[in-house]
Amino acid sequence: MGRKNGETLIFVSLGVPTAICLAAFAWIAGSLFTGIGTLNPALLTTSVLQGGYFEMIMGTIYLLLGAAAIAGPIGLFASIYLVEYARPGKITAIIDQSINNLAGVPSIVIGLFGYTFFSKQLGLGVSLAAGWLTLTLMMLPIVIRGSEESLRMVPGAFKEAALALGATKWKAVSSTSVSGAAPGIVTSVILGMARVAGETAAIIAVSCVLITRGLPKSPLEPVMALSYNLFVRIIALGESAQEVFGIALILFAIVTSFAIFGIVLRTYYRRKQPWLR
Amino acid sequence: MKDEPITLLLFICASFSIIILFLMLVFVAREGTLALSQFGPNFLIGQTWDTNANLYGALPLIYGSIMVVAGALAFAIPLGVGTAIFVSEVLPFSVRDIVKSIIELLASVPSVIYGFIGMIMLVPAVAYLFGLNSGATALTASILLSIMSVPTIVGVSGEVISAVPKEYKEAALGLGATKWQTIKHVVLPISKSGILASVMLGLGRAIGETIAVLMVVGNVARIPTPFWNLLAPVYPITSVIAIQMAEAAVGSLEYSALFGLGLVLFIITFLVNTLADVVVKGKVGRREVSAWVGKMARR
Repeated sequence: MGRKNGETLIFVSLGVPTAICLAAFAWIAGSLFTGIGTLNPALLTTSVLQGGYFEMIMGTIYLLLGAAAIAGPIGLFASIYLVEYARPGKITAIIDQSINNLAGVPSIVIGLFGYTFFSKQLGLGVSLAAGWLTLTLMMLPIVIRGSEESLRMVPGAFKEAALALGATKWKAVSSTSVSGAAPGIVTSVILGMARVAGETAAIIAVSCVLITRGLPKSPLEPVMALSYNLFVRIIALGESAQEVFGIALILFAIVTSFAIFGIVLRTYYRRKQPWLR
Repeated sequence: MKDEPITLLLFICASFSIIILFLMLVFVAREGTLALSQFGPNFLIGQTWDTNANLYGALPLIYGSIMVVAGALAFAIPLGVGTAIFVSEVLPFSVRDIVKSIIELLASVPSVIYGFIGMIMLVPAVAYLFGLNSGATALTASILLSIMSVPTIVGVSGEVISAVPKEYKEAALGLGATKWQTIKHVVLPISKSGILASVMLGLGRAIGETIAVLMVVGNVARIPTPFWNLLAPVYPITSVIAIQMAEAAVGSLEYSALFGLGLVLFIITFLVNTLADVVVKGKVGRREVSAWVGKMARR
């Protein structure tokens, strides 16, 4: 009995760190939502020139969609190669390792690289396009690993059946594995978008400005973003918390809803693989 | 079977990460050459970082980074490993996924939001608790950073702990071991290397964190006196780059020095991440670690 009580004590005390983590999230969400009163819904569609948030929200969405459009296909192809084509060996090991290393590069270094390579070397300047390419580098590892996981879950029997019927390897892979893994692949792109939606350090010098007159008309124009505006207004302009609360709340809401959507989708498809039923 | 042309395209996409890492090294190093050649080893061990005097010695900044990260890990390791054990071994299945998901949400909160919350809540709290004029200190950044690194540690260690074969645990339980004895003598020894890897990945993320840290760390480029004083402001490498990048003229010595710092950061995180992978090579949970690395937040 004494031993049992001792164990319970250990398990209860192990629960403390978990409680702290959950409390931290509640604290962040809670303290942001106390500011919900300061947010006037009409401001969401009002131009920044009239004190609204419209261009910032749209800028963040433009950046996200563009980066997803580039990182999605590249990440998908990379994961197809790793799952279906790569032979175990040195080259595959190096590719695998470099994906992890790319995931570990600090965002500020990605930003430095984006500035010297995309903005200067490729001549894109401070622009939406340079931002897309920079954020692509951040999304790519997330998309590759997520798609890899979904591709590996599709049973090989479908592919083998297609091959036996005379399909070429690519035909077999694209019509069985890739279509079977499609929901998981989409989910990995959504989770990737959640990760870069609030990114600041990487795009400071690459694609953002504090204010634009209207939305960018071409990918070569700079763009406004919620994260960048929040950062610069606090740090450079010294605005008070009250003045920027709205931006923080909108950004948090966008990022968190992307993340929740992605997590729910992933959980749903993991449980509901049609061939596992 | 002969290779189809599409195979080449797939291979190029897969090699993209290698190409990018190589370009990153070359281009960041190229921009940093001016400062690195002018200061030589003094770029790393010089004690004065002063833009007005055009002197760039990064020691106080490197020290600032080490201090903040060491403090963060001191909180994050018990917090993260404890949570991972509790979630994967103790919590009932029905709530496990929900708790894991909330911790994953913690990873997707943007750093600028962490910085914002830290500024309005944590900075005043630290100032009040320790009777300081300003609560923007190394300790404040450490606390904030520990919360930000926890999801990486929990995510990776959690996967590794869950990957311990059920038969091992059942064997221990069958021999009469209690649940805690099984965790302590079976689960933890097997997942040791994976947990170590998770801590190193957390370390890698913490070193690179920029925006949240610079908003609460005080940004004073001086080694605190005494040097272990966590209640003094410091100026970590990442903060310097983010703040000075806006004002540095392209091609100036200052601009080059910032890229020099970027190179230092790139090399450190590259080594830490590679080491994390080496630690788990061939061990239980290798695939789990690998799969998680790509998914976790980069800061």
